[in-house]
Amino acid sequence: MQDYYDRLGLSPGATPAEIKAAYHAKLKEFPAHSHPEDFKAIRAAYEALRKGPQREDDFFAEVPVQAELDPALIEQLRQRASVAVDVTFDDLIRLTF
Amino acid sequence: MGQVVGIDLGTTNSIIAALEDGQPWVIPDEDGSMLLPSYVGMSDGGQLLIGQSAWRQYAAAPDRTVKSIKRQMGTDYTVTLGDRTYRPQEISAIILRSLKQRAEAMLEDEVTQAVITVPAYFTDAQRQATKEAGEIAGFEVLQILNEPTAAALVFDLDSEDSETVLVYDLGGGTFDVSIVEVTGDVTEVLASHGNNRLGGDDFDRLLQHFLADRFLQLHDTEVPNDAVTQARLLQAAEQAKIALSEHAFTTVREPFLVSQGETALHLETDVAREDFENLIKPLLTGTLEAIDRALSDVDMTADDIDRAILVGGSTRIPLVQHLVEGHLPDTPVSSFEPDLCVGLGAALQAGVLSGAAVDNILVDVSPHSLGIAAMMDTPLGPVPGLFSTIIPRNSVIPTSQSQVYGTAADGQQIVEIEVFQGENPIAKENVPLGAFRIEGIPPKPAGAVQVEVHFDFDINGILTVTATEKGKGQQQSLVVNDTQTGRLSSHELHQSRDAIASLFGALPLFEAEDDEWVDVDVSLDEQE
Repeated sequence: MQDYYDRLGLSPGATPAEIKAAYHAKLKEFPAHSHPEDFKAIRAAYEALRKGPQREDDFFAEVPVQAELDPALIEQLRQRASVAVDVTFDDLIRLTF
Repeated sequence: MGQVVGIDLGTTNSIIAALEDGQPWVIPDEDGSMLLPSYVGMSDGGQLLIGQSAWRQYAAAPDRTVKSIKRQMGTDYTVTLGDRTYRPQEISAIILRSLKQRAEAMLEDEVTQAVITVPAYFTDAQRQATKEAGEIAGFEVLQILNEPTAAALVFDLDSEDSETVLVYDLGGGTFDVSIVEVTGDVTEVLASHGNNRLGGDDFDRLLQHFLADRFLQLHDTEVPNDAVTQARLLQAAEQAKIALSEHAFTTVREPFLVSQGETALHLETDVAREDFENLIKPLLTGTLEAIDRALSDVDMTADDIDRAILVGGSTRIPLVQHLVEGHLPDTPVSSFEPDLCVGLGAALQAGVLSGAAVDNILVDVSPHSLGIAAMMDTPLGPVPGLFSTIIPRNSVIPTSQSQVYGTAADGQQIVEIEVFQGENPIAKENVPLGAFRIEGIPPKPAGAVQVEVHFDFDINGILTVTATEKGKGQQQSLVVNDTQTGRLSSHELHQSRDAIASLFGALPLFEAEDDEWVDVDVSLDEQE
């Protein structure tokens, strides 16, 4: 966290307004089009400080092949599964008669 | 040094703007008109027509006239004019080159660098095609800029307080909504959403069908389905649409639309604004849903928006204004030069990028999520082919993000990285951007080999993907813009550029580093 404060030239306890002002000042110094890497670092610091201290290691998800699934996806998968079952059922009927 | 310009390459109209003392202004043609209709045609005698003249011949010669080419950008669509077949980026390049000529004549100076705008919701392939169009036209493209973002740059705010602005941009062929925070000279896009296939063209089509139905009622005869008659009807519909923004009724008169033996049948009918509104209302409802999604993406409600700005020619339609006002009840909704402000904003950004005395700072986002196909655990067991997002939508650009994946099967020796753009949880339902493989992975149990996938997304919306196998450090990468179909190689770009230049009666563009090549080409030209 301290790194993020340093990057924006702030000390811990800075108010949201101070964080934003410091971020804007840095943007003017390092615009995205001419200083992309500095810009990314500034942006990462701003996003971390703005959100508060809880989620520091957001960028690297070390657990592979796993993700949070939203209910919409599960519903879609269920529908696909049931469509697949329907087809087999139809085929069964066709085979039987 | 040449001048820098901003260009709004629109579906229906295009404009070019320059900067003077830090202030943007739109460059008119010789007759004083600011808008160049985005029409390209070939006359009877094989002469190239651009803008107004092409627009005029459209109803008589739709087979020799190209309109709304923007809708085909990024596809492998081709169109034939005269004896040559053109790709969408080449037709767009003709429009851009005509604007370039207009600017050079007015400024009495060479114009070399340009910022060209695209709808915020344009995909990677559509952006790349637009950039190519600029290069074929002979520009150095400084940036591909999002249209609603460009419009937001034009709004100077006096106070240093932050204001949250919703930009509603409904043009001839595309719709975007962006939520933008403006603090002094810093303009930050928070979220964008849209529809790449919704705009005035669709309203014209609906009204065209409506007029055909009216004709059938009047004469008990179908309007024949030939290109010329349909083009006349479409243009009549467009004119009626424009009239209905001003008046509650309009009369459509198309004499001699159809001939039936000896008799000619005319179309003469009144259209009420209400008729038109009933036709387009279902489409507009979709734009309001897009507003809601953009708001929910940034955890905001309509109450958080300080003001809304309407951009794009289709926002002249009174129903559009009413619906947006009704949807954002306590927000002032205003409009300022809906046809011009995107181009003006592009010129401002061109000034920033070329180091002119313009102080705007712009922070933009990518409206689409980017990721790869992966196997994921679900309540139904592990499912392959799901979309694993690496850069979520509305991430600030440029950005770099990484994600680590494990092998899915015991002894797996090949990992295929398939890259997609979109929001569907099923990978294949999204837009494919390219794929590559890492081979020769040492056989180990599932999950024991880890591969880090790194996405690097630049300010123009161009993606580079790198995958690294963590054990051996084996690495493969892919610049996504090189692999798409419909994209041009640098040799093809050169060829197109010269072909387009010769249409304008110009010699191939001078290449400082390659004198000999230019000489050869000139001599070829003389032989023709």
